[in-house]
Amino acid sequence: MPDDSDEIRPTGARCGLPLRSDAARARGTASGQPVPEAVSPVTDAEFARFCEFLYRRTGIHLTPARRAYADRRLAERMAATRSRSFAVYFARLRAGLGGEAEQLVNAFTVNETYFFREEYQLRCLSAALMDRVAAGRPPGAPLRIWSHPCSTGEEAYSIAIWLLEHWGAVDRYDIEIVGSDIDTRALAAARAGLYGARALMRLSPDLVARYFVREATPLGEGWRIIAALRDSVRFSPCNLMEAAAMRSEGAFDVIFCRNVLIYFDDASRRVAAGHLHESLNPGGFICLGHTESMSRISPLFRVCRFADAFVYQRPPEGEHV
Amino acid sequence: MSEPAPSVPPRVLVVDDAGLVRIYYRGVLERAGFAVDEALNGIEALERVLAGPYDLLVVDVNMPRMDGLSFLRALRRREAPWRALPVLMTSTEAGAGDREAARAAGASFYLVKPVAEGDLVAHARALAGWRP
Repeated sequence: MPDDSDEIRPTGARCGLPLRSDAARARGTASGQPVPEAVSPVTDAEFARFCEFLYRRTGIHLTPARRAYADRRLAERMAATRSRSFAVYFARLRAGLGGEAEQLVNAFTVNETYFFREEYQLRCLSAALMDRVAAGRPPGAPLRIWSHPCSTGEEAYSIAIWLLEHWGAVDRYDIEIVGSDIDTRALAAARAGLYGARALMRLSPDLVARYFVREATPLGEGWRIIAALRDSVRFSPCNLMEAAAMRSEGAFDVIFCRNVLIYFDDASRRVAAGHLHESLNPGGFICLGHTESMSRISPLFRVCRFADAFVYQRPPEGEHV
Repeated sequence: MSEPAPSVPPRVLVVDDAGLVRIYYRGVLERAGFAVDEALNGIEALERVLAGPYDLLVVDVNMPRMDGLSFLRALRRREAPWRALPVLMTSTEAGAGDREAARAAGASFYLVKPVAEGDLVAHARALAGWRP
């Protein structure tokens, strides 16, 4: 299994194609190698104000350890908006000029992933979770799976492909797969479904041939998800911290919520966990990143140990944790 | 040297409202050598079938707008060749009444979901009268 360090992986292959030097920088950061840093564009006092703004807006809690990462993102946004100083940039941000708040959120969320990442969780999905949530449902009933945050869509499509290949009852239920993210640029990329070779590294040539169409792009060779599969997965903007937005997506049977709660502080984590609990049908399951633990966040979930993975469950109706 | 003409793959229309089911059946049938088109409901299926030709239809019973049985009855009211087109019905309903309703509407065969890959291929080949 490739390194899946859950420390910050700064924005990488934004549209699924290997774009800028971010991915390389991210690897350098994750592996602890020194990364040349520019001088900080902001003072400590300014940084504190910025952190408070970002936290109130998104629940993302920047610790001092992530200062260098934050500086890079901030410098990018300041350059993009031609702001000569932090004060100018921050005024623009607070005034909501040019949709800057959304741009900023996009810059601060992480988008590097690939197909069949965390295969053990997908195995658990087809070997245990699907049968359990389907039990007692009439044939043809909807089974709803949520990839949240879905970033550029690799996880949501991976779930679809995995179930098509590994769950024998895939035609017995009305499976709905939804991908949600706070990052609207990532969602646009998810809907487009165009990926670079790196995103496909874990897929066999057979699977690539079955579910992708090769396509030349300005950035090199790409692979686009077949239209039927793109049409079968829905992508929608949603913020884990917003109760109304979460509720509007309805209730799910399985939620993949990987490596996002680590961005939050304890208070935000509890709020997000509460929202996720409400978004699950009773008896529904939630899969977190492999270093994350719901037990440390919320008492609302039951820990379930399956052959392939630890998963958290909203207890079935009438049962306790 | 003249090569024997390759046998033309039979054309199948898969009719199901669930996208993943269409992808699954299409994949199975294409790997078995069929040429596959898709429709999302009975109305779309009728349009496609009349524009045909198809050698086999794989049709779900429960669909919005026009369900599989209504589609089948509409198809069987038409003249040959549509009246005689082989139709493999698929459904999540396993009851004797459901099978009988499909037979009465003109289904050639009835498979209860989940349909195993081997069963779909075997019945599709038998109904289309074709082996690669």
